[in-house]
Amino acid sequence: MAKGSGIIERSLLTDDQIMEFDNLVMDGIDISGRWNTMLKSRVHSRPELDSWDEIRESFIGASIDNCIQCGMCTAGCTVAHEIPEFNPRQFIYWVRTGRQDELIKNADVIWRCVGCYICTNHCPKEVNTAEVIESIGQWLHRAVPEKMDDAFKANHETYRHQLFTYGRLSLPRLQAEFLNRTGRRQELFTAEMRKTAVKMLKDGRVMRTLFIGKPRHWSRSAMVLSHQEA
Amino acid sequence: MKTAYFPGCSLKTIDRAYDVSTRVIAKDLGMTLVDVEDYSCCGAGELKGEGLKSHFLPARNLAHLLAQGENEVMVSCNVCYHELSRTAYTFDVGGKVRDDIANMLQEADEPSLTEKPSVRNTLEYLVNVVGLDTIAKHVKVPLSGLRVAPYYGCLYHRPGKMLSSIQIAGEDTEHPHFMHDLLKTLGATVVSHPAETTCCGGKNLLSDDRTSGRLTGRILSQAKSSGADVLSLMCPKCAGGLDALQLRAINAVGNSAELPVMYYTQLIGIAFGHRPEELYVGDMESNALGTIQQFLSQLEYSLPPR
Repeated sequence: MAKGSGIIERSLLTDDQIMEFDNLVMDGIDISGRWNTMLKSRVHSRPELDSWDEIRESFIGASIDNCIQCGMCTAGCTVAHEIPEFNPRQFIYWVRTGRQDELIKNADVIWRCVGCYICTNHCPKEVNTAEVIESIGQWLHRAVPEKMDDAFKANHETYRHQLFTYGRLSLPRLQAEFLNRTGRRQELFTAEMRKTAVKMLKDGRVMRTLFIGKPRHWSRSAMVLSHQEA
Repeated sequence: MKTAYFPGCSLKTIDRAYDVSTRVIAKDLGMTLVDVEDYSCCGAGELKGEGLKSHFLPARNLAHLLAQGENEVMVSCNVCYHELSRTAYTFDVGGKVRDDIANMLQEADEPSLTEKPSVRNTLEYLVNVVGLDTIAKHVKVPLSGLRVAPYYGCLYHRPGKMLSSIQIAGEDTEHPHFMHDLLKTLGATVVSHPAETTCCGGKNLLSDDRTSGRLTGRILSQAKSSGADVLSLMCPKCAGGLDALQLRAINAVGNSAELPVMYYTQLIGIAFGHRPEELYVGDMESNALGTIQQFLSQLEYSLPPR
């Protein structure tokens, strides 16, 4: 029988929260049978609150303290429909109760926010939820970079490199650098990609892309962007 | 009517169809578009994690706008619209941020941002400033019989408190309707569908194939099953997922996601009597050109002889 199969709302628990024994004797009384399923204590006695401080003091995460845990953000969330583990209300709860272990466990989920701002728009307490989630993602990226997905890191690096170097985005260049960084370079040479490239070369869009140029005096702006602390 | 215009990076390069069609219809409507000189990228929503620095690039563009003697700008790209509005809003709220933005601009030797410019979206500007009755007067080829599904994306109407479409023009932040109104004015049959404002996953277009494939697939298949011939777009980032990478959506949800996609400005251009080539309809990866050519040929056949 599956672990904890007698529990109502079993889907809300993970396997390691449930204890089951074949033969359990407590204080001389044999309680094996259906009474041997137990939940581990959910008391968390050592909250790790430095992440909360970091997020509430950051520029984009400052509104986290307005949250009243109503769940409007999660009810409308685009990603929550696609990925059930994606739960902005719970992420905010974990930050404010110091559950860094839970946040780290979900490091590969939190960055998948698509920035559609439904949550911010629905919030009755003016929490800028989309940017708070971004801020939590940034904290994770700083705290546990090894847990983050390679595609996330490549995306992050690619956009920064392209923006800081050129000041303007050229989408083919962006895609090429991204695929290169993730080691998926061969995807640049698939049949569809070649077809698109030939089409764009013929109708002159490639030339437009190559000659997009830089803004005037870009080097000074690039200095400001890459040196100043957030 | 002189209007400052911010095309942004993607409209200047691979999404020239949106840029050119906007210019074509603006010329017809008697608007003189003045480009923002020496533009830079708006940050594309990818620099939010940098905190204060995320305001530098939009503020730089707005400062250049003010230096040109304009204080209202029309933006076609939804991502640029969102970024510029976000900075203008933050600047207007004021406090320490205002000084910080001023310092950053000074340090980079750029013009200063002295007042809050008004950032307008092209769709909202066309409906609210130019006016639907003016647009109706320019319609030469009514799109009657063409079934168009509007698609707004996210950043045209969310978050409501920052954006001119909601604050000035009176658009609805949950159920926007300006594109419906505009397409009706052109004579098209507007197909409402459940995915008009759902996100296409554009921010993770490159990094999260699975989610963004499923999201784009859902939008396309819902528009198609509602009976649309063509999906009308207003954001180049959405075009990335819905048009250029439509194959990924088809792989995710099946053939129900195969649908021609084009910009709403191109549809206005067609209704104003321009040829599809002038509006670069052929630039779209989906079969928008075929749909439009078929529509026009049927139309010529059914038009009364001159």
